[in-house]
Amino acid sequence: MLSKELKNILLKVQKPGRYTGGELNSVVKNRADIAVRYAFCFPDTYEIGMSHLGMKILYGLVNEREDAWCERVFAPWLDMEEQMRKNNIPLYALESGDPIAGFDIIGFTLQYELCYTNVLNMLDLAGLPVRSADRKALTPIVIAGGPCVCNPEPLAPFIDLFLPGEGEEVTNDIIDLIKKHKALGSTKEEFLKDAVKIQGVYAPSFYSVEYNSDDTVKAVTPSNGAPEKVKKRIVSDLDSCYYPDKFVVPFLEVVHDRTTAELFRGCIRGCRFCQAGFLYRPIREKAAKTVEDQCRRLCDSTGYDEISLCSLSTSDYTKLFPLLNDLLEWTEKDRINIALPSLRIDNFPEELMQKISGVRRSGLTFAPEAGTQRLRDVINKNVTEEEVMSTAKEAFDGGWTAVKLYFMIGLPTETLEDVEGIAKLAQKVVDEFYHNPNKPKGKSVTVSVSASTFVPKPFTPFQWEAQDTAGVIAEKQKHLFESNTTRKVNISCHKVYTSVLEGVFARGDRRLAEVIETAWRSGCKFDGWDDVFDTEKWTQAFEKCNISPEFYASRQRSFDEVLPWDHMDYGISKNFLINENKRAHEGVTTPSCREKCSGCGTNKLNGGVCHALCKSMA
Amino acid sequence: MRSVRVWLEKSGRAIYTSHLDLNRCMTRAVRRANIPLWYTEGFNPHPYLMFPLPLPLGQSSDGEPMDIRIETDMTDGEIFDALSRVMPEGFTVKSVGEPKDKAGDVAMAQYGITLEFPDSAQAERTAGVIRTLIDGGELTAEKTGKKGRMKVVKEIKLNDFIHRFEAGSEDCYVKISAVLSAGSTVNLNPALLLDALYKAGDFEPVYTEIRRQKLLKSDFSDFE
Repeated sequence: MLSKELKNILLKVQKPGRYTGGELNSVVKNRADIAVRYAFCFPDTYEIGMSHLGMKILYGLVNEREDAWCERVFAPWLDMEEQMRKNNIPLYALESGDPIAGFDIIGFTLQYELCYTNVLNMLDLAGLPVRSADRKALTPIVIAGGPCVCNPEPLAPFIDLFLPGEGEEVTNDIIDLIKKHKALGSTKEEFLKDAVKIQGVYAPSFYSVEYNSDDTVKAVTPSNGAPEKVKKRIVSDLDSCYYPDKFVVPFLEVVHDRTTAELFRGCIRGCRFCQAGFLYRPIREKAAKTVEDQCRRLCDSTGYDEISLCSLSTSDYTKLFPLLNDLLEWTEKDRINIALPSLRIDNFPEELMQKISGVRRSGLTFAPEAGTQRLRDVINKNVTEEEVMSTAKEAFDGGWTAVKLYFMIGLPTETLEDVEGIAKLAQKVVDEFYHNPNKPKGKSVTVSVSASTFVPKPFTPFQWEAQDTAGVIAEKQKHLFESNTTRKVNISCHKVYTSVLEGVFARGDRRLAEVIETAWRSGCKFDGWDDVFDTEKWTQAFEKCNISPEFYASRQRSFDEVLPWDHMDYGISKNFLINENKRAHEGVTTPSCREKCSGCGTNKLNGGVCHALCKSMA
Repeated sequence: MRSVRVWLEKSGRAIYTSHLDLNRCMTRAVRRANIPLWYTEGFNPHPYLMFPLPLPLGQSSDGEPMDIRIETDMTDGEIFDALSRVMPEGFTVKSVGEPKDKAGDVAMAQYGITLEFPDSAQAERTAGVIRTLIDGGELTAEKTGKKGRMKVVKEIKLNDFIHRFEAGSEDCYVKISAVLSAGSTVNLNPALLLDALYKAGDFEPVYTEIRRQKLLKSDFSDFE
């Protein structure tokens, strides 16, 4: 139960429900029965972490084991951190309330680059040294997974093991191994040497990095029997793979508070800017029956009245219509709403659409990503202006009056004309509304344009590209605002400097660790939060470490440069990425994986199987 | 369709659930219990579930009434069993029955308050200070209210809302039993009263617990 000390603090902070635990379906075990204690850390607030599907999966998976106990830990918000430090309360896990410094495994999920300072801050709040080298004991061993692990180098000195790829299998491997070495009384080094024999385990301390005189990477050399290339792990069969039948149901409202079903992993689209579209390949689908059963069990155990059908591009799920029909048989009766994020509504049967939107109706979103057809071809976003217009028309016919459009600024080869194209396209959607005889009477239209900043990411065809500098982005944003002539269109843009920082860490190397630590020591945390982010402190940190952010963000790389993440193997062939990059600059699109395989190479991770090609599977 | 009043004990970690969150949390519990809720009709149908007197965050309660409307012929006993099986930690179903009084009939609430001090002498002394302050009748507190659209800070005389008050000490604790105005029109949050006492008496306990024991009607009879 909560200590009096903690109870006193809880009434002094916002949203104390973030820090109490005790939610429905949270798992409490008897400490005496447990061989391995696992603190699953999400380096952001409770509301964001509790919305994350990966955490729900691994939490359930570890807690299925009788010998292990997985607990949740989130980054305390500023007010709570202040109280914890003032009262000497170390970072604790929500289920037991025990300080995590005494756990065997501390696992972080790295979902975005701007959470890196929070990782350091959480280790420090736990009372642990932030650098691996200063944590001499076998436990706690600090591990990290998630998409950012595809280039883990900026965090290399802080984390003991990185786990690239999907966590379902490797998590159990690591738990088994730490259990064994605890029993043997091994040293940390003995454990690490054993751990790197497992596929998908990267021990950064076993790799030395040499640099050229121009500061680029010369070579990365493994030692202690660690592999030259660390190959990511994937789950081959999603139908037999573990999926929780219970979610922890939070007391307070979190970002995504609902049943989430995963339809498939990977994406057939190959949009060249999209890291997720390449990182999660090859395509593996779940059978409709599996999805439906999982939804049913989760709704029963949580009481949620909404199901979200998730994946990178929901409408590309080959069994979407049969699944929806099956689900609707009981969801309508039980008043459960079905949400379809990332859906293309062209070619969507009207009847099904009405059934789904029957319960509740919000706005409509669409992501053309770029303002002109030329640029959409460059990024391989195969959406035409006609499709945007026909979608808008359908939406207005159906009574919608709010449309959201997502774009990016700073894409490779972008000109001011392309930026202007964003405003023009938004204007055309507004015009479409007024030309529509079936438009809702007496109502005005709102088109919200969200223009984020493009950040080149590893393992995409744009991984060699220079990111626009802060000055250029600011100029383009200004141009976009000036190109807009109507009040029916609302434009919002991202903060420039946070995108630059994201770009630096996304493609950074080990030397950035010092900058991260310096910035954190000067007080940086929650960098993804605009109201907390401190540009000044970050600028000073780079200066103090004598490191130029431009070297990492706004430098064009050549195809033969050794990239800091070249020793990570995500199954994607470099030649495929080079070829895609060249096609981008020629303005040539690449068909979706379902139309024609373009040979990315990731099917080798799965014994040659990719569901984009063999639709008969599952 | 019929109305049912469920009485819930709220304690432990559950006391940090705010009113808004409690609504959502209980709607889900009722769904898990497979009790079909009656939905409001209209453009945006929602299940009928309400708390006649929301409990402030951080306070526990012996019995909070929760009113629901259901579409089923389940008996009160069946509802009791079904709900008891699905309650989250910190919530206990005490009883289920027909709502006898209207939500608006709540006029007062009885609270048990425990203040902890470093030692018994300090507790005894503070109990005396508290009694003197209450008897003096001069306690005030600032409350933000609305005047039209403007937000205004107004001073309220707390004694107008205190109907019964006893304070005594026991070891290092001051134990208070109080009946305070409660309801949708006049309501005195005991936390506000405590803050006024701390300020006027210049003391602060090391730990505080507030528990709502029951709701009363204007004639001091139990709200049922």
